[in-house]
Amino acid sequence: MTSSIAVIQTCVPALRRYASALLRDRDKADDLVRDCLVRALNRLHIGQEDGDIRTWLFAIMHDLLASRSRGVNLRGAVQTPYDKDSVAPSGRADRDDGVSRQDLMRAIDPLPKDQRSVLLLVAVEDLSYAETARVLGVPIDIVMSQLSLAREQVRQSLSDLRTPALRRVK
Amino acid sequence: MSGPEPPIAEADLHAFVDNQLPKARLAAVQRYLYANQQEARRVAAWMAHREALRQAVALEAEAPLPPGLDLSRLIETRLRRRHTAWLWLTAASVLFALALGGAGGWLLRLPYAPGRDAVALALLEQQGLATHVVYAADKRHPIEVAAVERDHLTQWLSNRLNRKVTAPELDALGYRLIGGRLLATERGGAAALLMYEDVRGQRLSLVLRPMARNLHAARADMSEGGVNGCAWIADGLGYAVVAALPDEELDRVADHVRLEWPAAG
Repeated sequence: MTSSIAVIQTCVPALRRYASALLRDRDKADDLVRDCLVRALNRLHIGQEDGDIRTWLFAIMHDLLASRSRGVNLRGAVQTPYDKDSVAPSGRADRDDGVSRQDLMRAIDPLPKDQRSVLLLVAVEDLSYAETARVLGVPIDIVMSQLSLAREQVRQSLSDLRTPALRRVK
Repeated sequence: MSGPEPPIAEADLHAFVDNQLPKARLAAVQRYLYANQQEARRVAAWMAHREALRQAVALEAEAPLPPGLDLSRLIETRLRRRHTAWLWLTAASVLFALALGGAGGWLLRLPYAPGRDAVALALLEQQGLATHVVYAADKRHPIEVAAVERDHLTQWLSNRLNRKVTAPELDALGYRLIGGRLLATERGGAAALLMYEDVRGQRLSLVLRPMARNLHAARADMSEGGVNGCAWIADGLGYAVVAALPDEELDRVADHVRLEWPAAG
């Protein structure tokens, strides 16, 4: 339980990254991370294997999000009003494949909540599929199918963005 | 030996993108992508978007932490509020981390440190609750030495704790001693568990933990997950009485232990 505190501290940046990518609002994200840490401290004595602390923290965060949104909106796409400008500007195409940060986030935002979570946990936080399943409390094949849906949706919306440009070239 | 390779599934392609593909499968996926340009393009797009997504959110992890997300601050706030004994546990674990050198320097950032009595009490409470949760639930082996060998039990525990240990008589309260066991403290010391049971099989733990002579703490209640307890420190010994029983009942037992057992002072 002791070194757990040090491990938890090292996980805070990742928790923030995940929360703000999900909520798209830094203040709300930090509130969520804070609640998550408080809950983790409360539960520390129950005992956690160090190797699992990161997964455990993401799971706590997921539970918090789930209990918050219960009653507000039961399922489906993002309905939290968020301030698009509050998270970094720059619409510049700064990747060699021409995907700008803004386009990318615009493609992620409309994804159903669970798909966004899966995509972020797997692709950004480097959780294994099994860990992701544990965090979200779903079977691993649900993780795989949501990952697939999310990726195809993102690919679709980004290629839709590019199509008009191609037409112009013709 | 190995049968025909299973066909490439969508999940394999994702695992390829996420570096989660088993090595044995890698060559097969590469061959598949080489032969299927359409699929290869799809996978290439996933990879590009994966990388772009990582870059897009990377900044959030690099931003300096606001004070609200500093664990030492959170712990401090909890200490100030101290509505339950568990708050002290966190302080205790920080101190312990410091003792281990794992998070050295960390505690120094706390504006004040909890007193030694409070930390000792927190460690005692923690050990009391944890011990009860683990051993009382064990139907067959809750103890090492049974009460039929009472003299042997107390002699052994006295030797190991390096002080006189007796097992208080709680029969008048309806609790029969079933036996005891030796416990280890996180500091590498010896502590003892004496376990009692009522006629319904409800178990009650008395944890005894040697303490420095100059430590004292008045009785404090604690509870966690349906298990209640109270703990105090007197005359170089820490006592924790823990059971899934109401506080009043535990207080009755604690009073008895204190009054009936000379060593409890």
